[in-house]
Amino acid sequence: MDELRKGFHNQLEGARTDLARLAAAVIEAIPRATNILLNGDLDGANALIADDDRIDALSVELEEHCYQLIALQAPVAGDLRQLVAIVKMVGDIERSADLTVNICKAARRIYGHELDPRLRGLITRMSEQAQQLFEAALESFEENDASKAAAIDDMDSYLDGLQRELVRTIMESNTNDQMDLQVAIQMAMVARFYERIGDHAVNIGERVQYVVTGWLPEHKGAARYKNGIPRPNDDTDGIPIVTGD
Amino acid sequence: MLYVFAALAVVGWSVVFWQRRNHEIVVVPSVESVETLDVPAESDETLNVLDALPLGVVVVGDNGQEIFRNRAAAEVTGMRHVDVLVEEVIERLVRLASIGQLGSEQIELAGPPQRVLDVRVTPLPEGGSIATIDDITERWMLDQVRTDFVANVSHELKTPVGAISVLAETIEGETEDELVLRLVRRMIIESERMSRTIDELLELSRIEMGGEMLSAPVDLNDVIAEAIDRALPLASRQGVAIAFEKSMDESTIKGDHFQLVSAVSNLVDNAVKYSDEGGLVTVSLVTIDESVELQVADQGIGIPMASLDRIFERFYRVDRARSRGTGGTGLGLSIVRHVVTNHGGEVNVRSREGEGSTFILRFPSIHGSK
Repeated sequence: MDELRKGFHNQLEGARTDLARLAAAVIEAIPRATNILLNGDLDGANALIADDDRIDALSVELEEHCYQLIALQAPVAGDLRQLVAIVKMVGDIERSADLTVNICKAARRIYGHELDPRLRGLITRMSEQAQQLFEAALESFEENDASKAAAIDDMDSYLDGLQRELVRTIMESNTNDQMDLQVAIQMAMVARFYERIGDHAVNIGERVQYVVTGWLPEHKGAARYKNGIPRPNDDTDGIPIVTGD
Repeated sequence: MLYVFAALAVVGWSVVFWQRRNHEIVVVPSVESVETLDVPAESDETLNVLDALPLGVVVVGDNGQEIFRNRAAAEVTGMRHVDVLVEEVIERLVRLASIGQLGSEQIELAGPPQRVLDVRVTPLPEGGSIATIDDITERWMLDQVRTDFVANVSHELKTPVGAISVLAETIEGETEDELVLRLVRRMIIESERMSRTIDELLELSRIEMGGEMLSAPVDLNDVIAEAIDRALPLASRQGVAIAFEKSMDESTIKGDHFQLVSAVSNLVDNAVKYSDEGGLVTVSLVTIDESVELQVADQGIGIPMASLDRIFERFYRVDRARSRGTGGTGLGLSIVRHVVTNHGGEVNVRSREGEGSTFILRFPSIHGSK
């Protein structure tokens, strides 16, 4: 039986490697996009935008490979959870790559405009934090570490705090006529892009938890719904808000 | 490059020996160290040599399976995603090597910190291939420094000369007194700028030679007080306050008072120049064991991450447009670095854009220096 499944397990391991490579490409794209934005590097922006087609192709290929494995090998239990989780994670990684492309497009739109040093510093911080979240997601996936995966959600609240601080700084700069309205809008969008990259890293962490434990955070809400228990009046879901003050 | 040839020779011999002695190759998926390999005792020494190399070495058998990985290749950078990217490149190049093609790729990592890795795969005569992973960041940066230096030095020296020449040509055909006066004033500014650059170049050259350097006891409290005195007129014009946290401990080092004042003045001047109105520059001195640490901290515009490694280069400018307005020559921080090095110390910088910078100068105290 072990021999029979050896081929399947090799293919499953191959799918895991492909997912790790996709995630690594995105982790590298985050600081690259930030440098492009801060330095007004148009050539770099074009190169990163063009590379997104490669990420798309690899994502589609990996997803189809997973469907094939599910259809032909009829995996069960942990193996099935892994394949289903990979399919979900591919979406999060591919979307994050799109968000780095969006940062490059914003860089093209604001080309020639000087950014305030405080704004530049906050963008650098957001980029570093988003990269750290994705790095933690990759590590937890490779090590099947549910504890590390669970920590990503808390790490993300720091990134959310930075986003609020960045938006506040943009508003102040715009109010004091230090920033063009178009630039202010683009920068607020950029803050949102980093914040979304962080959310996708949290999703990956949740899927890693699902692979290891079979549990998803959504199970809590689903159980409440099934048992007719109203949702607590707390939209932060118990997570304290970091305001960045 | 020498490492690559050495590794090739050692591994080539090792693999041939190995494959001859063992018809079946030992397949090791991810080897942390040589101890985990089931190999003949005669080759242990060779493998230990490979393990001690700073160059990453991965040996792949003719069936495509990895058979050896030295310690440097086991964890290339300590960052998971970089290791994954390196593995991907190795796999791609090994596929090329299996059809007899040499392959190499450079991986430029955005960081932080920015790094460049050179991955090469060479087919082995007895089948299989060897991959080497070389961290060439330093060489790559040196190349950049060399290229930029020529551009920067010609910019700094040619710009004022060009300006003076154009202004002189304009004056030649001009009869209106007021305009002539304005052009002459501009010529004076440009020639003063050039004179400053030449003075600082000569000072840097003197400091680099180190020949005239005195070696007498110098109290850093006095050095800081003098540097602050020099910066006070500029600080009051800019509306920037300077605070000095004196050291109560022994703060005397052995060195050249003139050079030290020049270095600390440069740092305090920069801190004031790049601070906003109402900002605070703090100069502090602490004694840690047998060294004295001098810090100059500001709450100014800060330095971009990508420039932090390069600010001590001659004529390096973080932002050329912004620097021209401050009247600097681009040599100040080079002077600081050379002065600190001449005194057996080291200089570090911590900075974040929009939050300020802190320059840390550490010198051996008079008791610590021999």
